[in-house]
Amino acid sequence: MSATNGKSITLSSKLQDIDFGTKASVPGWLRQLRCEGRERFNQMGIPSVKDEEWKYTNVTPLAERQFHFPMEFALKEKALLKHYLNPQETNIVLVNGVYSEEFSNVKNLVKGLTVTNLTVQADNAQLKKLINLFPSTYPDVFAALNNALLQEGIFIQIDDATVVQKVIHVVHVANPTNHDTIIVPRTLISIGKSAQVDILESHVGFSSGAYFANALTDILIKENAAAHYCKAQAESKGAYHIGSTRIWQKRDSNLETFSLTVGGTLTRNNLNIILEEPGTTTFLHGLYTMKEEQHVDNHTCVEHRAPNCTSNQLYKGILDQHSRAVFNGKIIVSREAQQTNSYQLNKNLMLGSDCRIDTKPQLEIFADDVKCTHGATIGQLNEDEIFYLKSRNIPQDLAVRILARGFVDDILNRLPNQSICEKLNQLLSSAIDVLK
Amino acid sequence: MLEIKDLHVQVNGVPILNGLHLTVNPGEVHAIMGPNGSGKSTLAKVIAGHPEYEVTKGTIEYEVNFKKINLLEMEPDERAKEGVFLAFQYPVEIPGVNTAVFLRAAFNELCRHQGAEEMDPIEFDEFLRSKLTLLNMEEKVINRPVNVDFSGGEKKRNEILQMAVLNPRLAVLDETDSGLDIDALRIVAEGVNKLKRKDNAVILITHYQRILNYIVPDFVHILSNGRIVRSSGKELALEVEERGYDWL
Repeated sequence: MSATNGKSITLSSKLQDIDFGTKASVPGWLRQLRCEGRERFNQMGIPSVKDEEWKYTNVTPLAERQFHFPMEFALKEKALLKHYLNPQETNIVLVNGVYSEEFSNVKNLVKGLTVTNLTVQADNAQLKKLINLFPSTYPDVFAALNNALLQEGIFIQIDDATVVQKVIHVVHVANPTNHDTIIVPRTLISIGKSAQVDILESHVGFSSGAYFANALTDILIKENAAAHYCKAQAESKGAYHIGSTRIWQKRDSNLETFSLTVGGTLTRNNLNIILEEPGTTTFLHGLYTMKEEQHVDNHTCVEHRAPNCTSNQLYKGILDQHSRAVFNGKIIVSREAQQTNSYQLNKNLMLGSDCRIDTKPQLEIFADDVKCTHGATIGQLNEDEIFYLKSRNIPQDLAVRILARGFVDDILNRLPNQSICEKLNQLLSSAIDVLK
Repeated sequence: MLEIKDLHVQVNGVPILNGLHLTVNPGEVHAIMGPNGSGKSTLAKVIAGHPEYEVTKGTIEYEVNFKKINLLEMEPDERAKEGVFLAFQYPVEIPGVNTAVFLRAAFNELCRHQGAEEMDPIEFDEFLRSKLTLLNMEEKVINRPVNVDFSGGEKKRNEILQMAVLNPRLAVLDETDSGLDIDALRIVAEGVNKLKRKDNAVILITHYQRILNYIVPDFVHILSNGRIVRSSGKELALEVEERGYDWL
């Protein structure tokens, strides 16, 4: 049983000091974080479409709903989850926001890798650094909400020069028993100097009802480290998913991100990357497959704060029926960030005649010696290609799926880790297999 | 096997075929020749079922299991599954779709239609390799996206590879010989000849007589202004080669 059992909140009103239980074990920093988050949230409030950052994604329907905290933390759909987990990997599973001993395997971790539950984490210098990387004043109201409501979370620490061979798979499972549940997944990752790691963070839902997942992940990548960070969003059909991933890159570090969205009714993925020191390389890949009334909004923001950094982003999407996608790619190149290379491309395939795409590059360049390009395309399937496939026995619906699959195949092939690639492929295939 | 009667076809309101008759029996090879714009490719596309070609009059009957069926009422994939195959004049490039995966999907659709067991990737790979040898093709071709960055000759050969895999009853080869050098032409023609049986037929659409030295037709038809204006044996092709189309 949780102390928040039976409690609920409405986001349109000011958040009160929620009694999360007065267990003595709750560390002081966490109380402070909640308090700052609450104040920040109350100051900002739920944005409307008049807010430029939320122009194409209306979250006001969320504001009036009454959200309950999860009541149960046992998983009913065990087989589904087991099918999704690879026992060879380091699995960290949270069910309805609470760490699950049953499904996680964090024993016998490689030396230099530690995984802890935030609630039991005493004061830790690394953690403190991470928490304060993006201060509570950072303008992200849903990150503030996550802080305000934070109960459990995962802290992954990779020491300097540690090479983590096995994929770290953090899985947030939503399986709420009551309607309009709010879940606040929180992950903090610190990657040491010259360390190397592959991380997949999955959000999966096994629920037929509506729920709200308000996720936040903060990552610090130190000097010369190399990280692959993938986010897979396969929430339930009725789910709202608003998540922010904030990454801080130090000198000469390498990062490849991949974001796959196939689930949920409304999704907002914020991806903020700050290139604080020179010599960093960053790849941002994204893929979304939407159908019916689904809505996905990918907001990326890459901040070049130092010279000689490269960022390269490619987001691709498939839209069917009445679905909607938003891509907003902001690139900020500060005055100091000379010799910046920054590329951005968003490509969309529209299968339905009633889908809508709003794609917007947003470049703010203050340095004078930079190379920045951006582009966006929206296209439909080629009739000649469809006829060619049909003349080879392949019926219309399968032809559409094969071509849709072909449209996104190149981006999936860029995933450096085979095991992650297979998993994302599995999710993507089930999304593509229902296209017509 | 195929009976086309009084076929009238238009594209975007422009009439292309104006009363075409053609009968093809099992075991036969029909060459269809004619000047540019005479309607050769239109005939090929209509048989395969391209949606842009509108049949305003006439019928195309096709015999399946001793029963005549109306080809014009069928979707292109249904026609294909009944053994109608079109080798495209300009094979379409499909980025992102692996040739082997595409061919297996096509082959397995056929298996399912015929109630036969589908092939798994390993079985199919072996099967496909044997067909590659037949056409003297390099293995790497099947691991590339369909026709993407293929040379003209490779694309045409890839069409015949697909024909070899799908083993059609009625193959319509639309200018498969155009743009091939003599070596490639010989390989493609040999491939077609090896696939020839008593119970299948070939309609060979061509601009040049050259390929008919390798694939010997039973009939040669001359198409002009959307109608067949002359039909004869293989000697007609030589006459055309010598005298052009103007005398017809």
